[in-house]
Amino acid sequence: MLYKLNNIIKAYDDRAVLDLNQICLKKGKVIGLLGPNGAGKTTLLEILAFLLSPTSGEIWFKQEKINSNIGRLIKLRRKVVLVQQHPILFTTTVYKNIDFPLKIRKTPKAKRNDMVNELLELVGMASFKDVGAHTLSGGQTQRVAIARALACFPEVILLDEPMSSVDVENQITIERIIREINQIKGISVIFTTHDVVQTSRLADDTLFLFEGKVAKSIYENIFSAYIETDDGGQKYFRLPNGLKLRTRSEKTGQTRISISPGKVRISQNSCNTQENTRKGKIIQLNQEQFNVRVLVDAGIPLNVLIPKGSFKSYEMGIGDDVWITCPVESIDIF
Amino acid sequence: MNFLTDSFFSALLLIWTLDHNLIEIIGVSLKVSSISTFISALVGVPSGFLIAFSDFKGKRLVITILNTLLALPTVVVGLFVYAFISRKGIFGAYDLLYTQKAMIIGQMILIIPIVTTFTISAVSRIDDRYRKAALTLGANLRQTAWVIIREARFGIMAAVVLAFGRVIAEVGISMMLGGNAKGFTRTMTTAMALEYDKGEFVLSVALGIVLLSASFAVNIFCNYFQGKGRTSN
Repeated sequence: MLYKLNNIIKAYDDRAVLDLNQICLKKGKVIGLLGPNGAGKTTLLEILAFLLSPTSGEIWFKQEKINSNIGRLIKLRRKVVLVQQHPILFTTTVYKNIDFPLKIRKTPKAKRNDMVNELLELVGMASFKDVGAHTLSGGQTQRVAIARALACFPEVILLDEPMSSVDVENQITIERIIREINQIKGISVIFTTHDVVQTSRLADDTLFLFEGKVAKSIYENIFSAYIETDDGGQKYFRLPNGLKLRTRSEKTGQTRISISPGKVRISQNSCNTQENTRKGKIIQLNQEQFNVRVLVDAGIPLNVLIPKGSFKSYEMGIGDDVWITCPVESIDIF
Repeated sequence: MNFLTDSFFSALLLIWTLDHNLIEIIGVSLKVSSISTFISALVGVPSGFLIAFSDFKGKRLVITILNTLLALPTVVVGLFVYAFISRKGIFGAYDLLYTQKAMIIGQMILIIPIVTTFTISAVSRIDDRYRKAALTLGANLRQTAWVIIREARFGIMAAVVLAFGRVIAEVGISMMLGGNAKGFTRTMTTAMALEYDKGEFVLSVALGIVLLSASFAVNIFCNYFQGKGRTSN
């Protein structure tokens, strides 16, 4: 076991941004922390990096209970390194940035040179060695920041949204680096993302965070809704744009719903007779490992997953009109 | 008008021939101002850094007081220090009055608030991600502080240069605490005041040219550092 977190709460001005019962994170894995913006992912990473102490609760790191002893924290920080979402490089050359962790660890100078060169090679930035770090692009900065983090020879590397602000080419490079540092160097990797596809591609384990809490399943298609009863006594969710979806829930009033993308049915023929059916337009198609993800604009943006096998029979294209049906059992209240 | 151009050309001649009297006065000015700036930087930069990075009760009050002290009139400092170091003062026994040491003490009181305040603002402008990056890369508190000071170096240098510009051009403290003794405490500004009193304008104008050039150089340095700070952050 790498980390064990018990009843961790982090609050700012009495507002809890993180409220976790129990989390166990395993050693040697690539773990994805998935969640929308404001879910508390960055706060959790900073706690795991020992940069932020929780308001209450216990953290265990490799059988050691963490306390606020500053000397001990500095030692622990040398085992865990965080790469921020928008990493900042020191105002000097790329070389000196990567050299920094080695220098403060008093690594002999001759050895440092070889190590920096090797790391630059790993992230594909060898030709930028003597370039001023502030002249690099977002993707290049991200890669140098990863190399600088690896120069700490950490047991754990924490990456905050490593691919959120980089182009596709850099994304592919960063994904390769993550796999390599985990498989070849055996470093545990914990990364945050709001991209389900990316997590399914990279992570051995996934933890879903929503509004500061761990959610049981991966919620997608999340909407806030109001449960109302119509004249006929039937209950339905009213979504902010006026869209109505039938429900058999006992609950009333304001709630939050998630429509499971695997349970939504899609049809190219009008099937208005079924309940909770709406017409929409395909605006995006993405290929995943086993499914094709179809994003439909049906007044609300709705993700639908179609198994790859059956997708072929559809002949769907972007801009096509489709009818989508959200069966009552596809909608979860949470 | 003739008088001004005559004085100006005679002054240029004085500078050109490196007149002994002139060089001596410039030497005293530079020595006193450099020492007071150096010690003020040693006190003001760490104080500014600590104030910016620590959270304590009354922090805002301290900053407000420092800001007020930025506008401290030199004659007030002169009077205040005089009260302590004159024969009747509590430090009277040290015989500090009318020495370069007295001038240095007065000038330090004048510019420590300048160095501190501008260090606070230079350090506060530094992105908090630098602190977090240094800590997560394994730096201890001293190394983290060094990273931040390094990032704020141009702002801090500008603060020190600005402080030097303030003391080299001040007259109140030098006059009241130094006493304008030839060869010991006569600085460019006090010499100019004296020459003016005597109606001898040539040396005054020559010193004025040197002083203006010094101010110009200080401003060029200041602009350079501030510009560098802007482009690199």
